[in-house]
This record gives sequence, structure tokens and C-alpha cells, in this order.
Amino acid sequence: MSSSRLSRSSFVRSSTAAAVAGATIGIPTFLPRIGEAADTVKIGLVEPSTLVYAAEGENEIRGFQMAADMWNAHGGILGRKIELSIEDDANDPGVGAQKARKLIDQDKVVALAGTVNSAVSLSVSGAANSAGVLFIDSGGHTDDVTGKDCKWNTFRTCHSTWMETHATGFSLAKKFGKRFHFITPDYAFGHSLETGYRDVLRQIGGTVTGSDLVPLGTTDFSPYLTKVLDGKPNVLLVLVAGADFVNCMKQIDSFGLSKKVGIGGPQAELEAVLALPKEARVGYFGVEWYYKSDKVLGHSKLAHDFVRDYQKRFNAPPTARSAFGYITMDRLAATMNAVKSTDSVKVAHGLENTKFSSIFEGTAYFRKEDHQLMWPMWVGEILRSGAGGDPNNLFDITDVQPAANIEQTVAEKAKICTISYP
Amino acid sequence: MLLHIGPELFNGLVLGAFYAFVAIGLSLIMNLTGTINMAHGSFMTLAGYLAFTLISHGTTFWFALLVAPLLTVIVGVVVERTLIRPLYKREPFYSLLLTFGLSLVAEEVFQLIWGANGVPLSPPPSLAGTVQLGFMAFPSFRLFITGALVVAIVGLALFLTRTRFGLRLRAAVQDTEMIAALGTNTQLLYMVNFGLGIFLAGIAGVLAAGMLGLNPTSGNALLMPAFVTVIIGGMGSLFGSIAGGLLIGFAISLTTFFIPAASEVSMYVLMAIVLMIRPRGLFGEEGIFG
Repeated sequence: MSSSRLSRSSFVRSSTAAAVAGATIGIPTFLPRIGEAADTVKIGLVEPSTLVYAAEGENEIRGFQMAADMWNAHGGILGRKIELSIEDDANDPGVGAQKARKLIDQDKVVALAGTVNSAVSLSVSGAANSAGVLFIDSGGHTDDVTGKDCKWNTFRTCHSTWMETHATGFSLAKKFGKRFHFITPDYAFGHSLETGYRDVLRQIGGTVTGSDLVPLGTTDFSPYLTKVLDGKPNVLLVLVAGADFVNCMKQIDSFGLSKKVGIGGPQAELEAVLALPKEARVGYFGVEWYYKSDKVLGHSKLAHDFVRDYQKRFNAPPTARSAFGYITMDRLAATMNAVKSTDSVKVAHGLENTKFSSIFEGTAYFRKEDHQLMWPMWVGEILRSGAGGDPNNLFDITDVQPAANIEQTVAEKAKICTISYP
Repeated sequence: MLLHIGPELFNGLVLGAFYAFVAIGLSLIMNLTGTINMAHGSFMTLAGYLAFTLISHGTTFWFALLVAPLLTVIVGVVVERTLIRPLYKREPFYSLLLTFGLSLVAEEVFQLIWGANGVPLSPPPSLAGTVQLGFMAFPSFRLFITGALVVAIVGLALFLTRTRFGLRLRAAVQDTEMIAALGTNTQLLYMVNFGLGIFLAGIAGVLAAGMLGLNPTSGNALLMPAFVTVIIGGMGSLFGSIAGGLLIGFAISLTTFFIPAASEVSMYVLMAIVLMIRPRGLFGEEGIFG
């Protein structure tokens, strides 16, 4: 049996030589950086795997996996395989920040992405900023992420609440009337949605007939719904999301409100609509991406391939959440390869204002001034039963809104957001 | 403005009846064995999912309303005999931890079987729509739920007061050792009592799935109001659970009307007030856990 034991003197000699070499010529590029094992590049995902947004989190993760696998089949990032490290944020901003730090400090990820709950997006953004690590918020919508709390390291893929409200507010007022009643989730996401709609109403001379702040995770909406008609609104705006959306819409139906007042809102996610019984599938909502509409997919081969491959792999339709995950991971990998680095500052600069095509019609870019992804948003009507022989095809996409028409201008954003690099 | 309080109070009554029903099942189990069943919400969810599966396979809502709770009882009894029973002689803290762990496991199992996304469960077509009550249009299904709960509560009260088995159960709550010394099979009592509590949870779970959404965590969301109901009403009292549920229903509805943002916290404020005035709860017995 051969001995491979290292003597004390040879250890001292070797380590001294290595230290001198390292200090003289720097760390050779072939040695792995933080987040890179010899043959992998780690991307950290903070997503809700439990509670009210579990389904949305699961679909975002699937989107990330699709893009990571696609890039891995084409050489990964800088020739190394992409490895996803996934943590459950339990829908809690504190837990989200803690998991972000764990991914950075222990798992040594090169970048963070994910989140559904806006409050978690903000906390992860802060934690990533403290560590100087890039974070792409794939699914938390509150304006603050790319507004007053914007940061050099934080980008956002999904639409801002401003985009959602301005894509839908005008058409809802045109369709139903200018008197709005809000059911608003009582946290960052809901507050900024209501702010957006109030701006729309201000522009068109509309009225808020009532607004109820409901806690996240509310199960029984009946105390709120029994007083909706008091102010004689034209439209009831359902601003809650996830499982809360399902509860709220079911109860709107049971109280017969959908027959008396228009129903609409900034977003109806396919996950939630699928969980509704037929009779509760009503209303006009914003749609951030949809798997079965020429208005969304257009002639993009990538988009059609993504839909086909996703359905084959997961036996379920891709949702807007799946698209957020895919686009985010795809942009991370493409940019790291383009700038030939995983360094957060270099990648952040590489993401800014770079136009790209993806799984929707047209092009998009992360705006340099606020790091918001500028891409179109769609408006659609919920269908009670699946169209075209597909039981999951529950939207009729009626309209597309270009990003420039629905997001605040650069000049407006400059008043609330300044991106400063370290 | 005051004219609109009527509908809110009525809605509070219905909501309170539902919380009371969940609380009674919880209270039954807690009173006899000292088991703080943190998995009660999971049993509700299980019944909801079983009903969804039965309806998806062509059965009627009414059949599912009866059978799903019974199937849930089978699972409950297995859990009681294998996991909870060994902890009866220990501090309630042990069963609390065990059932809390079970609820986490159950959530993952539901997610594995039925997916993370919610599933649609409709009330029967005959109970769709609203009934005009004069002062408001109220959902037919909610009225049915209230009626069903009243029937179930009356049935339970009759069972506990008018049957020999019910009398033994009540006696066991008072003094388990004495009833065992008199030759009653207390282990059987425990099992039937646990099964009864789970049956009530099952009915509540199916009804809740028709009224609200159904997802892996939906039952757990209803658990906290039920615990608060038991605490306000007082442990060991069926009537206390009913009163506690109604009080919470009224408190939530009225705060929603006047201060919507405070609706969630209102039941906890109510609980704090009751505990300050009467630590054992409104109709509770002192030292229920010995």
C-alpha cells in the first residue's frame, strides 16, 4: 500500500509556494469563483414552495429548470453546467432574506432569482444588495422593486403593478364605467396596485366607491363582499392573488355579485383560474403571458417550442409564472455568456438596455434607468370552459398593451429611482 | 350607515356557526384526551380532497358529503391508534408537537397527490345562486351550511346527552379513571371520540371546500379561528364553542364593516378580553388538563 501522507516540511513549502504564486499572478481563471464548483455555476432561487403562492412558485421553478436545461444542452454558462439551488421562502420576507443569505454565504451562488410575494422580493433585493450579488425578481410585482427601492443589483422580469393597472384600468373603465371598488391585499403588492388604479381614475375623472384592505391569506371574504354594492360601483376590482383570488372569486359568485357589477383586475393567473369552478370563472383581467394565443406567442418559434416542450415534460400548461422563470434564467445565462463573467456588476451592466427575443412576440429589454423588463402586457376575458378542445385554455386574449404605453416614463422614474453602482 | 349593519351581523352569524362547528370537533378531542389536534385542519382538507375525487369520478355532492368524512374518519382512527394513543399519558405538549408535525407532512402529501395548485369544487347546482332575505341577497349554499351545522350540532348534543355511549363519553371527560374502574373500555371511548371529532372536521372540510377554495393548506387556514373559538367559549363546553364561534363571527363582521384592516386581529383582541375577565373562557371548566 503506497503512502500519500504529506510531511510537515513539504506542506509548508507547497502552501508557501501556492500563496506566493497566487499573490503574484492572481487567481488563475481556470479556478472556480464563488458559486462555481469546478464544473457548475450555481444560481440561487428563492421561491414559495408552501402556503398561498405554492402553485405559482412551483411553476416559476419549472420555468427556471426549462431554461437551465436548454442552456446546459448548449454548453451552460462559460462552459460550465448551471445548477439551481432552491430555497422555500415560506411566503415570509424575513425567511426570504435569511434564505437569500444562506444561498450566498453557504451555497456560494453567483446570482439570485425568484420570489412571488412582493414583500419577499423587497427583502431578498436588500439582502442581495448587502452582499453585492445580482438578483432578478422574477415574480414580485410591487412598484417599489424598480421604483423607490430600486438597486443596481436588482432587476425585475414580471410586470410592475403600475404596468398591470395601466394596462387594465383604462379598458375596464371603458367597458364597465368609472366607479371602482377595490378588494386589496394588505401588503406592498396590493398597496401599489391600488395606487396605480387611483392614478388611472385621476386621469379619467373616475371615483373610488370603496376600498377594503384584506389580510394576506384571508379565507372568508363575505364581510367585505356584503358591502360592495353600497357605493354602487361599476366594477369590482379583485386585487388579491393566488389562493386568496380563488377564495374571493368563488364567494363573488356565491353572493351573485358578478351578475350585478363588472368584475376585473390587474391579473388573473392561470393557476388560480384553473382552481375555480366553472361558475366562478368570470371577468376581465390583465394577463402577463399566455400559452395559447397568437397575440402573445406570435410567430416566435422559441415560444411555440417552449409551450410544446413544457407540456410534454410537466403534463400541464405553462403559465405566466413558468414564463417568468424561463425568461429570467435565459437572460442570466445569455448575459453571463455575453460578458464572459459571472461578476454581478458586469452582468448587471450587460443586462441593461440589451434587446432580446424570447417566448413572446416582439423584443424586450431591461430598462437601464430602473431595471424593469419592458415587455408587452395583455388583457383577456376569463372563459368558463376551455376553448378549442383544451380544458386549460381559459382566456380569450383581447388586447395587447406595449410596455411604453403602460409603464412610467424614464423622466417619471428618475424622480423616485436612481441606480448607483458600487 | 347603520342600515347596512344588518347584513353584516347576519353574515357574522353564519360565519360564526361555521367556526363553532370546526371548534366543536376540536373541543371534543381536546376535552377527553387532552390532545391539542393541530392536524384538525389537515383532516378537513383531506375530506375536501376526497370529496373532490369522488365528485370527479361521477358521484353527487351529497354522496361525497357523507362518504368523504367517513373515509377521513378511517384515516383519523388509524392515526389515533398508531401515533396519538401512546401519548395520552404524557403532557398535552407532546401530542401538540406530533399533530403539528402531522399537519406539515399532510400538506406535502396533499401537494404530492393533488398538486400545489388548488382544485375546483362546486356546491350542488340546486344550491347555486342567492336567496332574497328581504334585507339582503344571501348565498343559498351558505344558508344550507348553517342549517346543516345546526342539525349536526343538535344531533351531537342528543348523542352526548341521550345515549348511553354519549353519557359515558361525558363521564370520561369528568373522570376517566373512575369510568375505567367501572369497567368501561376507555381505549374504545377514546377512539370513538377521536373519530367523532374527525367526522365533524370532515363535514366541515367538504362544506368549506364548496364555499371557499380547496388547496393543500386551505384547512389549516381555518384552524386558528377554531382554536380561538374554543379558548373564548371555554374548554369542555359544547355550548361554549357555539357561543365562542358566534362571538368571533360577529366580531369579524363588525370590524370588517367599521375598520376593515383590523378584521384579522379582532378575534385575538376578543380572546384577550375574555381571558382577562374569565381565564377559563366563557363557559369553560377550570383545570381541564388537570
